[in-house]
Amino acid sequence: MKLNRIIGHFFLAFAGFLAVFPLLWTALNAFKSNVDIISRDPKFIFTPTLENIAYVLGRHSVMTGLTNSIVACGTSVLIGIVLGLPAAYSIARYPNRWSADLQFFVLSIRFLPPVAVAIPLMVIWLQVGLYDHLIALVVTYSLLTISVTVWLAIPAFQQVPREIEEAAFVDGYGAYAVFWKIALPVAFRSLIGAVAFSFVLIWNEFLMALMLTSSNAKTLPIVASELSQQGMNVPWGVLNASVLLLSLPPLFFLGILSGFLSSVFTKGT
Amino acid sequence: MFKRTSLPYAFLVPTVSILLVLSLVPTIYAVVIALQDRELSQAGYSFIGFQNFIDLFSDRRFLNAVMVSVKWEVVTVLATMCVAISLGVALFEYTSTRLRNFYCLLFLVPVLLPRVSAAFVWKFAFHPLYGIATYPLRVITGMPVELLSNPHTALYVVAFVDVWQWGLLFAVIIVKLLETLPPQPLEAAKLDNAKGWQVHLYVALPMLRAPIISLMFVKMIESLRSFDLIYVMTRGGPGIATETLDMYAFAQGFIESGKVSYASSMAVLMMVATVVVFTLLWKRAQ
Repeated sequence: MKLNRIIGHFFLAFAGFLAVFPLLWTALNAFKSNVDIISRDPKFIFTPTLENIAYVLGRHSVMTGLTNSIVACGTSVLIGIVLGLPAAYSIARYPNRWSADLQFFVLSIRFLPPVAVAIPLMVIWLQVGLYDHLIALVVTYSLLTISVTVWLAIPAFQQVPREIEEAAFVDGYGAYAVFWKIALPVAFRSLIGAVAFSFVLIWNEFLMALMLTSSNAKTLPIVASELSQQGMNVPWGVLNASVLLLSLPPLFFLGILSGFLSSVFTKGT
Repeated sequence: MFKRTSLPYAFLVPTVSILLVLSLVPTIYAVVIALQDRELSQAGYSFIGFQNFIDLFSDRRFLNAVMVSVKWEVVTVLATMCVAISLGVALFEYTSTRLRNFYCLLFLVPVLLPRVSAAFVWKFAFHPLYGIATYPLRVITGMPVELLSNPHTALYVVAFVDVWQWGLLFAVIIVKLLETLPPQPLEAAKLDNAKGWQVHLYVALPMLRAPIISLMFVKMIESLRSFDLIYVMTRGGPGIATETLDMYAFAQGFIESGKVSYASSMAVLMMVATVVVFTLLWKRAQ
C-alpha cells in the first residue's frame, strides 16, 4: 500500500507539472531575447527583455485581430444568451412532446463537421458580399453559441428548486415574471459557467475564422498562427509573446469553469 | 402551475427557427455544391451529379485521409479515457480535499488554451534542436530528435497534445463523479479484502458506466475537431502522414486547387457518416 501511495503521488505530481509547465515555459520565453531561446541547453536564468511584448502589442495586425476577436466573440456570446437562455428555460420547465427531439437537435448541431459547414458558408458569404466581414463571422458563430448555451443552461434551470417557482406563482407572478425574477437570479451562478464556456469555445475557434476571413476580419488565433508559419528566421520570442496574449483571456475564466464543473457533476445525475 | 401561458412559444419559436435556418442552409448548400463542379478560380459551373463522389473512391489521398482520421479517432479517444480514468482514480484515492482542488485547477489549464496556442507551445517543445521536451533525449543521444517530421511518430505527437488537453479535463470530471458515489459499496468491498485497484475496477467504475460512456461519446465528437492542432503542428505532413479528412478537404478547397465542389463532396460524406453514427450511438445510449 505504501509503495502504491508513493507511485500515485509521483504520477499526479508529474501530470500536474505537465499540465502547466509548457505554458509557463512559453511565458518565460516571451521575455527572452532570441539568443537565449535558441540555445542547446534550456536557460532558466537570463536577462529579461520587454522587446517581444512591446513588438506584439505594437503590431497593427495583432491589434486588429484582438479587436476582431473581442467583437466577434462578444456579439455572438450575447446573441447566444439572448436567444439561448429563454429556450433552455422553456425546455426545462415546459416539457412538451417535442422536447426530447429538440434537445437532440441542439446536440446534433455539434455533430456537424466544421469543414462541412465552413465550405458552403464561404460560398454563400462570397455571393452575398459579406466574405471577410465580421457580420458573417458573428452569424456563423451564433449557431455555435446558441446551441451550446441552450445545451448547458437546461440542467442549470432544472436544478432550480421547483418549489421556489411554484411559490412565486401562488404569490401572483406571471410566467414571464417567474423567469425574470426567480429562475434567472437563482440559476445565475451556473448560467455564468455556461456563458463562460461558450465564450472560451468561440475565442479558441480557428477553422471557421480561417475559412471565412482573408484580411480585414481575421481573428487573433489566425494572426497568431500566421506568425508561427514564418520561414527560417523565426522570431521565437515574438511568437511566444503572441501565444501568451492569445492564451490569457480564456485562463481568466479558470475559476468560474471549475466551479461550474463542480456544480454540474455533484448536484446533477 | 407551469401551464397555460404563451411563454413556451415566445421563448422557443424564435430560437428554434434561427437554429434551423443557420444549420439547414449550410448543410443543404453543402450537398448542392457537392453535386456541381465549382472551382474558386472559375465563375461558371454546372451540375455533374455524383461524379465527385465517384472520383473520391479512386483518390488514394482521400482513402489515406479516411485511414488517418479513423486512426486519430481511435487513438485519441482511447488514450484520453485511459489517462482520465487512471488520473481520476489516483486523485480520488491519494489526495486530501485541498490538494485535490489544487490539482483540479491545474488540470483545467490545458483545455482552456486555444488549440492554436496548445499546438504552438508543443510544436516548439518538440523542436528537434531547441525544444524542451526533446532536451532529455538530445542529451542522451547527442543528436537532434525529429519526432514531428517522422511519418511514424508525427500523428502520435499531435495526438499527445490532444490527450494533454482532454485527458486532464476528463480526469477532473471522473474524480467529481467518483465523489458522488455512495461510500457503502466501496467500504464493503474493502472489508472483503479487495485491493485499492480492485475496488475501483470492479465496484466504482462499473457504477459509473453510464456517465463514462457519455464522456466517451463527447470525446468522440470533439476528436473530430482535430483541424487546428494538425494545421499548426504539421499541416498534414510529413507527406500525407497526418492528413485527416478535414485537412485534406481544406487542402483541396483552398490551398492547392480551389476545388470547392470536390472538397464539399468530401465534407458531405463526413457529415453523413458522423450524423448517422452519432445518432445511432446516442439513441442506443438513451
